[in-house]
Amino acid sequence: MRSDKSILILAVPALAFFAVFSYGPMVGVIVAFKDFSIVDGIIGSPWNGLENFRFFFESGNASRVVRNTLMLNALFIGGTLISGMALAIMINEVRLRLLKRTAQSVVFLPYFISPIVISVMLQAFLSGFGGSGGMVNGLLDGFGISPVSWYTEPGAWPWILTVVKIWQMAGYTSIIYLAAMTAIPTDVYEAAVLDGASRWKIALRVTMPLILPVTVILLVLQIGRIFMGDFGTIYAIIGDNGTLFETTDVIDTFVFRALRTSGDLGMTAAVGLFQSVVGFVLIAATALIARRISRKSGGL
Amino acid sequence: MGVSTVAVTVYALACVIPLWIIFASSLTAERTLVQTGFSLWPSDFSLEAYKALFSGNDTLINAYLATLVITVVGTAGAVIATLGMGWVISRRTAMARRFMVVVYIPMLFNGGLVPLYILVTQVLQLRNTYWAVILPLLVSPFLVFVAMAFFRDIPEAVLESARIDGANELRAFVSIVLPIATPIVAVIALFYAVAYWNEWFFPLLFINDPDLRPLQLLLQNMIGNLNAAQALQPTAGVSAPVYQLRMALTVVTIGPIILAYPFIQRFFVTGLTLGATKG
Repeated sequence: MRSDKSILILAVPALAFFAVFSYGPMVGVIVAFKDFSIVDGIIGSPWNGLENFRFFFESGNASRVVRNTLMLNALFIGGTLISGMALAIMINEVRLRLLKRTAQSVVFLPYFISPIVISVMLQAFLSGFGGSGGMVNGLLDGFGISPVSWYTEPGAWPWILTVVKIWQMAGYTSIIYLAAMTAIPTDVYEAAVLDGASRWKIALRVTMPLILPVTVILLVLQIGRIFMGDFGTIYAIIGDNGTLFETTDVIDTFVFRALRTSGDLGMTAAVGLFQSVVGFVLIAATALIARRISRKSGGL
Repeated sequence: MGVSTVAVTVYALACVIPLWIIFASSLTAERTLVQTGFSLWPSDFSLEAYKALFSGNDTLINAYLATLVITVVGTAGAVIATLGMGWVISRRTAMARRFMVVVYIPMLFNGGLVPLYILVTQVLQLRNTYWAVILPLLVSPFLVFVAMAFFRDIPEAVLESARIDGANELRAFVSIVLPIATPIVAVIALFYAVAYWNEWFFPLLFINDPDLRPLQLLLQNMIGNLNAAQALQPTAGVSAPVYQLRMALTVVTIGPIILAYPFIQRFFVTGLTLGATKG
């Protein structure tokens, strides 16, 4: 490769971005070890060691937000992967060309809908207008079940949020699976048909094992991010509804609220740093596993 | 009909019907909405909410302008930065490898929200500007790698011919590579555009001035606070259709995406499969 410095100008905007907005904040994590005040600034504020971390872990919030983060992400990952794969297999099975094409476009649509809009829809379905109870309660009523006041019922929310996540992501995930399926050679299917396998047998014994590597990679990639909350979706839907924090408050929403209400930037930065470090360890570990798997399966 | 046909049909409907219901209720008079809730068809047809939205004051127009500015400026900047970096690291030089690490590390580790917050509000003083939303989201490392994967597939011979004609690397990129790269430019631009259009976290964090609120934040304010919906009314007070108005505002917020969807959807599928199989 000939060396030509003119090309470097193309990298300047991105380099400037990363320097300021990615690496800048990495240096800024020292706030987590300071008794920060805006007046004194990052450099001027006094050090206070691990006090901020101690404060977080002893506040009683730590176990709740860590548990919720892991629990919700596990539900999201499991729900999205299973529904995405099921959807892809079923779309693949559909013989009507028009339905197949339409379904492939339509299931992807929820991915484009912002969390705020989802929150509006959910509120309208679950609590209706002016306390009228909403569509879901109308349905429950039809089965003779008494209506539920969803927005004061923390136990239901991990499941409600999982349904939302599946609605948002199943189509997106199914597209990845469908792409993987097109890579399966047709003679594999022809052989299965010759052996007299039924359509369901083929889906179960041929398609699913052959897209397993993609599943594992997706799973591993997402497990690496299991310590990150899904701030956009969760905060848009739950907001500052304290009744639901028991099951829905995750690290990201906790940090955001602390930032806005308590103004204790040192403690909040400590929580964020704790999250980043654990997240980094998880990502690094899973990246190694992912590399192993993709090497074994001959790359994605 | 097979099980799959039924299941796929049901799921496809489940993706569309909630959006349709929002649309139908935005056309249903407030009293019917409160009494009977949703319906698939507006039984008590009313354009009240849309009239209020469009004849009221500048709130909606301001929000639209904010979202447009953020989306257009953000996407343009993001595409330039992403393609430029993608091209440089696709070149397999020693410099390219070093830059690749620079792009890769932020995927693994970040400083967290507080240092970013202090950076934007204290150091750069960007509170209540659109830059506070545009700049922190400008480059997605993932999309840089998607661009890189695409550029690596361009045959070296194509570039060689440009070099023989005396073009430098920069010239070769602009006049040879970019025209070939149109599909990937479209994919990357669309990913950024949707992200900026739907973004509300940074507006929530950094924009307090009601006149600068983008659409998503306006809608979010309206869910939290019914009285805020009345601010959209030309005349305050008298039985404002707050619920209907909320639905109408939702429709107006997703409208452009739904209208553009048939055209942009296939690009996304391309981008997604590119990312999934090469990323």
